[in-house]
Amino acid sequence: MLSFSALLRALPGNIAQGMIWGIMALGLYITYKILNFSDLTVDGSFSTGAAVTVMLIIAGCPAIVAVLIAFVAGCLAGLVTGFLHTVLKIAPILSGILTQIALYSINLHILGNKANQAINVNDYSLLLTLRNTKMAILVALIFAAVLIAILYWFFGTELGSAIRATGNNSQMAKAQGINIDKMKVIALSLSNGIVALSGGLLAQYQGFADVSVGRGAIVIGLAAIIIGSVIFEGKNKKEINFSILLGSAVIGGIIYYISIGIVLWLKLPTNDMKLFTAILVAVFLSVPNLSLGKKKEDKANAGN
Amino acid sequence: MKKLLIVLFVLLLLVGCSGEKGGDEGDKVFNVGVLQLIQHDALDKATEGFKDALKDKLGDKVVFDEQNASGDSANCAVIANQFVANDVDLIFANATPALQAASTATDTIPVVATSVTSFAAALNIDNWTGMTGTNVTGTSDLAVGALEKQAAQIVELLPDAKKVAIFYCSAEPNSVAQADEIEGYLDALGLEHQRFTFSDSNDIAQVAVNACEWADVVFVPTDNAVASYASEDQFSKPVIAGEEGICKRIGIATVSLSYYQIGYKAGEMAADILINGTDPATLPVVEESEMSKMYNPSIAAKFGIEIPSDYIAVE
Repeated sequence: MLSFSALLRALPGNIAQGMIWGIMALGLYITYKILNFSDLTVDGSFSTGAAVTVMLIIAGCPAIVAVLIAFVAGCLAGLVTGFLHTVLKIAPILSGILTQIALYSINLHILGNKANQAINVNDYSLLLTLRNTKMAILVALIFAAVLIAILYWFFGTELGSAIRATGNNSQMAKAQGINIDKMKVIALSLSNGIVALSGGLLAQYQGFADVSVGRGAIVIGLAAIIIGSVIFEGKNKKEINFSILLGSAVIGGIIYYISIGIVLWLKLPTNDMKLFTAILVAVFLSVPNLSLGKKKEDKANAGN
Repeated sequence: MKKLLIVLFVLLLLVGCSGEKGGDEGDKVFNVGVLQLIQHDALDKATEGFKDALKDKLGDKVVFDEQNASGDSANCAVIANQFVANDVDLIFANATPALQAASTATDTIPVVATSVTSFAAALNIDNWTGMTGTNVTGTSDLAVGALEKQAAQIVELLPDAKKVAIFYCSAEPNSVAQADEIEGYLDALGLEHQRFTFSDSNDIAQVAVNACEWADVVFVPTDNAVASYASEDQFSKPVIAGEEGICKRIGIATVSLSYYQIGYKAGEMAADILINGTDPATLPVVEESEMSKMYNPSIAAKFGIEIPSDYIAVE
């Protein structure tokens, strides 16, 4: 019953959703890779972005403005984590967890004390929707490209370089006269702003915001970053352009969602979906490391 | 280059797995996509009922592509997208986010939903007329008059109880509304009551201890968090449940609509759409169902409560 063309037809939707989570991974990239800060705020700020966007669009705000305000809301969430860490001296992971917990209640309030709020594509003009997946890919692609361009520029400026220095070697950065606390707060805000923006995109795409939509976002984001870096960095440790590294996170998100698409398409026992998704991602991650050159070809053929 | 090799490998793997068959000929076999939000007693029952109804009507002329988002609401969109790509004949959406994702994914393929309390709220419909006017219809899990019967049940089964703890997740508007309503009935019966709420499923155990210390009996509305995450050992006092699934999990008894029945009813509507080509836009959403008194034999025995003969045991 499995038809390959069915998988191909499902591909645009998987790519679109993967790109939206890939944009989320771009935000996570700033804290995880550049700042070297394990930030767990994202599970909360992703939902915040979804909630803010949906409520604003329902209130009559244009979708693009709603998404930008969601970005600002995400920045505020990052600011709180930054405050907990730099001013109250709470450890990075715990700062993120505290903000994430607090955001659960705040997100409920944003959603009008409801766990779920619909935003039906029939009634509202949305930037992107599951109804039209090819258009959704285009919109997500534009967002990803603009964000990558802005981040590429930003991390080349003096301020961006100072953030990178803070992530590389905070003692050294401090010795150079960089205010590392300030850099951490800026990076956390920017990161969570982008995460919230992608939450706003996902809410429109799927047609609803759910208070628990961000649950596990950090896992998907990390998976996307690591899948992307495995594919692009591989074994040649040459200097890779920063914009390609950022792009690889988005592509990692796409591969993650294509993996889920393949698992669904194979019609495996439904309760095992998460198990097989994990296995398939593990396969993606290990392929470049397991085989080299000619051996790879042999293996690929033998496997079938 | 490396990327290319990986893509090649994956494609090979896929082609290897995909024993493709030609188009189906002869009698039409209906392909129905089943999209369920989470593994959960009530939802499982509804899916079972839906499938039984379609099998009763269509025999082997129906195949199911059964998918479960495993509690990850964003996965509903992935699954809905897959169903639309497969061009299924009908989508069965079980629970609110499943309905929302399915109705976002398509405005042409019929969507029959169940375990949704309010179709109007789930689909942003302002002037609710009983029909969605779109490709969506189904059965609601709103049980009319259930709360009044459940309040009376507390007195029937536990005549000595004076204090009732109302236990639910404050993030579920549906539960809050039920708590508001049952307080009126409890007042009328002269029972003292207090709310014990949590907003995160990790806090259930702790709040349950507080509730059981204060109360003689605990009432739980149709709360999804309790239905998915609570366990029998957390409650040292008897629990009157808002529905069958919660009763099976932690309760002594309930007056409940049967999720199997609302699923079965949804299956009958789906059969009507598939066989007779009825337009879902004109099929009213079914909002009331028969209720029955149910009890949980093992938990009722644990508290030594005698169950009248008009009760049926939850399975």
